[in-house]
Amino acid sequence: MKALELASSLFWLLVSLVFIAASVRLGTGSVHNPGMGFITFWAAGILGLLSLGLFVKALFEKEVLSPDEPLFGKTWPRTAIVLALLIVYSVFMPKLGYLISTFVLMSLLFWILEKGKIGFVLLYAALSTFVTYQVFSKWLNCQFPDGFFGF
Amino acid sequence: MDMLHNIIYGFQVAFQPINFLFCGIGVLVGTLIGVLPGIGPAGAMALLLPATFHVSPTATLILLAGIYYGVNYGGSTTSILVNIPGEATSVITCLDGYQMARQGHAGLALGLAAGGSFIAGTIANIGLMLVAVPLANMALAFGPPEYFALMCMGLVIVTYLAQRSVLKAIMMALVGILLGSIGLDLISGLPRFTLGINELSDGIGIVPLCMGLFGITEIFENLEGEMRQQEVFKARLRNLWPSFKDWMRCKWAILRGSLIGFILGILPGAGPIISSFVSYAVEKKVSKTPEKFGTGMMEGVAGPESANNAAAGSALIPLLSLGIPPNPIMALLFSALIIHGLQPGPLLIREHPDLFWGLVGSLYLGNLLLLILNLPLIGIWVKVLQIPYKILFPLILLFCLIGAYTLNNLSFDLYIMFFFGTLGWIMKKFGYEPAPLILAYILGPMLENNLRQSLLISQGKFMIFLTRPISAVALGIVCLLLLSNLLPFLKRRRQNYEQFK
Repeated sequence: MKALELASSLFWLLVSLVFIAASVRLGTGSVHNPGMGFITFWAAGILGLLSLGLFVKALFEKEVLSPDEPLFGKTWPRTAIVLALLIVYSVFMPKLGYLISTFVLMSLLFWILEKGKIGFVLLYAALSTFVTYQVFSKWLNCQFPDGFFGF
Repeated sequence: MDMLHNIIYGFQVAFQPINFLFCGIGVLVGTLIGVLPGIGPAGAMALLLPATFHVSPTATLILLAGIYYGVNYGGSTTSILVNIPGEATSVITCLDGYQMARQGHAGLALGLAAGGSFIAGTIANIGLMLVAVPLANMALAFGPPEYFALMCMGLVIVTYLAQRSVLKAIMMALVGILLGSIGLDLISGLPRFTLGINELSDGIGIVPLCMGLFGITEIFENLEGEMRQQEVFKARLRNLWPSFKDWMRCKWAILRGSLIGFILGILPGAGPIISSFVSYAVEKKVSKTPEKFGTGMMEGVAGPESANNAAAGSALIPLLSLGIPPNPIMALLFSALIIHGLQPGPLLIREHPDLFWGLVGSLYLGNLLLLILNLPLIGIWVKVLQIPYKILFPLILLFCLIGAYTLNNLSFDLYIMFFFGTLGWIMKKFGYEPAPLILAYILGPMLENNLRQSLLISQGKFMIFLTRPISAVALGIVCLLLLSNLLPFLKRRRQNYEQFK
């Protein structure tokens, strides 16, 4: 817990320093004539101070949590794979079109959660893709990309 | 007389076919969302937002508000039957609701929850009508200093009511202000923190941000865990409508819950979650048999369920009369109004009476629809709960993708959603809450604008905030709240000192 607090406070301290530097570059102006970076400078400054406060508090705090409690659950690689799939989907969806890319994505997602049952995976992937296409694109007039193949 | 005329007008608007349809869809989707894990009201509202682009702002508001208060009904069903709250607003209902179900009174618990919610929703509607219009008229006299102070107060209350560390909640609010500043500067019109990315010129979209921090985060958390299917408690659902004696027993619990919910709903950040907890605590306090709470007390269901519904209704007051969203869900409604070209604020009710009174009419209608539809449909909601996670989660993910993409047809919005989804997932592990961030993100640009305008008016003198009564009182409350955080620390120091002595 202590290590987590220290790490997170340092992360936000870094974020605040980046914003302070960017705010100064934009121009903080004066109290009479506040500039573009005025409020962000102060917000980032206070964030930095609070991060420092959290860092110091964590530093002097006694360790309360048992060290064997893991930060991530047992199946965290599954989450990482899903995230990677989602990013790949976002890149290729405008090029391949909604139907193809969504069918592939849903097949992979169902496969990750229900390994081995190919029939189940393909059926649910096809159903979810076509039903959402019909509802959102045809009935609700949402615009989906057609991609190279025109559908 | 004016009020009666306005109510009739509101019902005329609400009964227009498209508005009636959207009200029905809203409350049904809301109930479904309340039942389902993994997607909250913010995610559902964001998902359906693109579908409202082709309809009037009134229909949009009716749909989104329907989702919001419908969620509370759905959440109570799962709390009572499964002992797992569909939404955080129904956490406390598990304590006595599930025990009632175990004792064979599931129908009674569901009936009390639905009936209490209906009564509380109606009371909140009446309060909304009575308070919103005068408050909006009063707010016409507000200037930038008053708005700045009220927004500060809102942000501080949100952080003060944080479930975990107040320090971290304040940090999240500051991060929200920084994120809200990305995009074109409101006064100079120049890009700020956009890193040369054109898509960031309009700032970070509220929909991908909300879906990321709430929807994707929740899915990632569940994916990481064991994904055990919930065990649905098999109770025979009979006698859904409580007897006269039951109503009499719970009447004060419902009224107290409604009042608590109504008052806390107006306050920033408090909303339905806190009000349900406060209501439960009050019921336990006033009960002659407090030791029986947790064993299936009717008041433990009726009070909190009334409170969360009343809070959902009264949360509309600051949004519609002041243009200040008191919680992240209201922030989404705020964004929906902006997307439709309307500026929430004191002039909204005067310039768009159809929107306000139509919404009021739809709230009555929606509450009635929930009561009529939901009790007979409880069997269906239970079946929904039994859908395996391995089917549910990919579908919820797909809905999030569609919701984020179709708003602007940009893959960039998907990247934003994934980024904040991952950030939210990691942040939760480190004990940071997303609610203050979302609210500060919405209020940040308004806060900045009002601060800069105030300083321009006063030629740089901060005394402008103290010479105006409303802003002085609001800032006084801010100082008191911030200083009160030091009390536990001082108390500990004092105890240590006395022990040492």
